[in-house]
Amino acid sequence: MNYQIDLLLADQPAVLERVLQTTRYRGFRINQLNMQPTASQLKVSMQVYGKQPINILTTQLHKLYDLASLECQAQQNSTLGRRSLAAQTLPKTA
Amino acid sequence: MKGAQATLQYLTAQGIDRVFGYPGGAIMPLYDALLDSPVRHYLCRHEQGAAFAAIGYARSTNQVGVCIATSGPGATNLITSLADAKLDSVPLVVITGQVARAAMGTDAFQEVDVLGLSLSICKHSMQVMSPEDLVPSLQHAFRIASEGRPGPVLVDIPKDILLMEVPEFEPEDQGALTLPQPDEQTIEAANQLLDNSQRPVVYVGGGVGMADAVQELRHFIARNNLPAVCTLKGLGSADTDHPGYLGMLGMHGLAAANLAVQGCDLLIAIGARLDDRVTGKLDEFAPHAKLLHLDIDPAEIHKRRQADVSLLGDLKQILPQLTCPQDKTEWLERMATLKAEKALTYSSHSGDGQIHAPSLLRSLSDLAETDAIVTCDVGQHQMWVAQHMLFSHPTCHLSSGGLGTMGFGLPAAIGAQVANPNKQVVAVCGDGSFMMNVQELGTLRRYQMPVKILILDNQRLGMVKQWQELFHEQRYSETDLSDNPEFSRLAQAFDIEAEQIQSAEQVIPALKRMLSHPGPYLLHVRLDHKDNVWPIVPPNTANHQMWEQPR
Ligand SMILES: Cc1ncc(C[n+]2csc(CCOP(=O)(O)OP(=O)(O)O)c2C)c(N)n1
Repeated sequence: MNYQIDLLLADQPAVLERVLQTTRYRGFRINQLNMQPTASQLKVSMQVYGKQPINILTTQLHKLYDLASLECQAQQNSTLGRRSLAAQTLPKTA
Repeated sequence: MKGAQATLQYLTAQGIDRVFGYPGGAIMPLYDALLDSPVRHYLCRHEQGAAFAAIGYARSTNQVGVCIATSGPGATNLITSLADAKLDSVPLVVITGQVARAAMGTDAFQEVDVLGLSLSICKHSMQVMSPEDLVPSLQHAFRIASEGRPGPVLVDIPKDILLMEVPEFEPEDQGALTLPQPDEQTIEAANQLLDNSQRPVVYVGGGVGMADAVQELRHFIARNNLPAVCTLKGLGSADTDHPGYLGMLGMHGLAAANLAVQGCDLLIAIGARLDDRVTGKLDEFAPHAKLLHLDIDPAEIHKRRQADVSLLGDLKQILPQLTCPQDKTEWLERMATLKAEKALTYSSHSGDGQIHAPSLLRSLSDLAETDAIVTCDVGQHQMWVAQHMLFSHPTCHLSSGGLGTMGFGLPAAIGAQVANPNKQVVAVCGDGSFMMNVQELGTLRRYQMPVKILILDNQRLGMVKQWQELFHEQRYSETDLSDNPEFSRLAQAFDIEAEQIQSAEQVIPALKRMLSHPGPYLLHVRLDHKDNVWPIVPPNTANHQMWEQPR
């Protein structure tokens, strides 16, 4: 399954590495990646592919201290086209 | 104020008066400032040992442990300990020196990209790139290390920043982290699950101790008459005198614990993460059970198994809200009977005169003080400790769980003793593991801490040997350690009193001598190398298909 993930991140050293490492380690492949600094933040959008439920990845991305927001949409499937659960903000408790 | 002084002043303001570490070039300004600081530094003999000591300090107190090292090799020597702390959710702040900013990125002497190396094995890592950021970074680090699910945080500080003027620390109220709280409906759904179940089992993980929810857990179990099993890190959380207390579950779990879970219709996972050493073959784990999952980390819910109801938040707050009116005493009695049927038996004289680790450890458990702290290395002896010793609190049992790191026991015991100078601290070591941080005998000698070392010497890398015997057709590859050093003479070289025993009747008097000795002590116990850990769940097997004894 393919997913579109949009992240807003604090523009800190190593923040992109964190996103890439987390994505790889949790078993997802990046098909497309776009990164753009804004005034104070970093906007990252990526298309990822993976066989596992996407929550395995998004809950881990949520743990990154430099993450300000995350939105995730499943692609190529009309019923899953709406925002998935992962778009809800999770508490930074882990 | 210079960066180095500001760092120490910040530690003091945090109530940190004891740290562990090892000096070197890039961190020298901090070591210089230590001379004038009230912070007491414990010099270990390897950075891995220093960080394990900080872990022992943290795990035995539930407070943040602090460790300091230099750049390059100092930093890389920390890697294993950081991973250990990450996998066992231990709150650590680790400070590394870095080469001066002007030299960074030039492959300077002792320059290593420790920030990059640390990313996947820390809860968070930071590199301080301007003097104004130094104190705020430390402030961040302490907060992140201890809030929510704890973990290690690395702060890498370039040497020139330690030497520069930095802004004074101004205490600022960061406000407490608001922990999530399950809504009433979800609590209601959980209580409904509890009430509807006929055969519930509580599965206790390390999260209970870290949430300081031991009392709440015990009340929950007692109030609802529930049987309970523990993970390696959960040991000590549940009341071991409760009739439904079944001990550790999983690969080397006790038979009653595994059978109870396999037969239950509701599994109540509390601060536990369904680790593969616990579940065995995942799709046959607790096959008839619904899952009620309580945790502070949203990423653990549904990670290994879909939960039927999940409660995200502070266990201390959630547990008192869980209750079921329906009486479960009949099920509890069935579990108590199962426990009696599967009870471990110990015979002090097994006939062959040899020392058997299980009965020795049961004697140690009986003879040691109730709040004694026991640390472990990794291997057969570690599993025997978990199976045969009883703990009154999770801070009394320090074992490397997630990473399973050999060499953990001695340095962790040193850290635990520093934090608890008046408690009995015993390191139960394997002969293989002991040699991995044997240099810490030097630390014991220097500070004359009364740590007791019990080496269970089977002259083998026993756990690996056990697998070779059972699953690799007895092809023993590189697991023979029969040329071990003479451990008691090794101890004597560090002025540590030592004794060696090899027959069963020597056990009790030797344990008594060890425990009553005022200073550090090493008891070298010779075991039969043929002994194995039972039960064992073979790989890819359901937990109820464990082998309970040699075939
Ligand atoms: C650092 C490290 N290297 C290798 C291993 C793999 N390993 C697990 S148990 C074990 C044997 C441990 O031997 P010993 O300390 O003598 O304990 P025993 O099993 O004999 O009680 C080994 C090599 C490990 N857990 N940690």
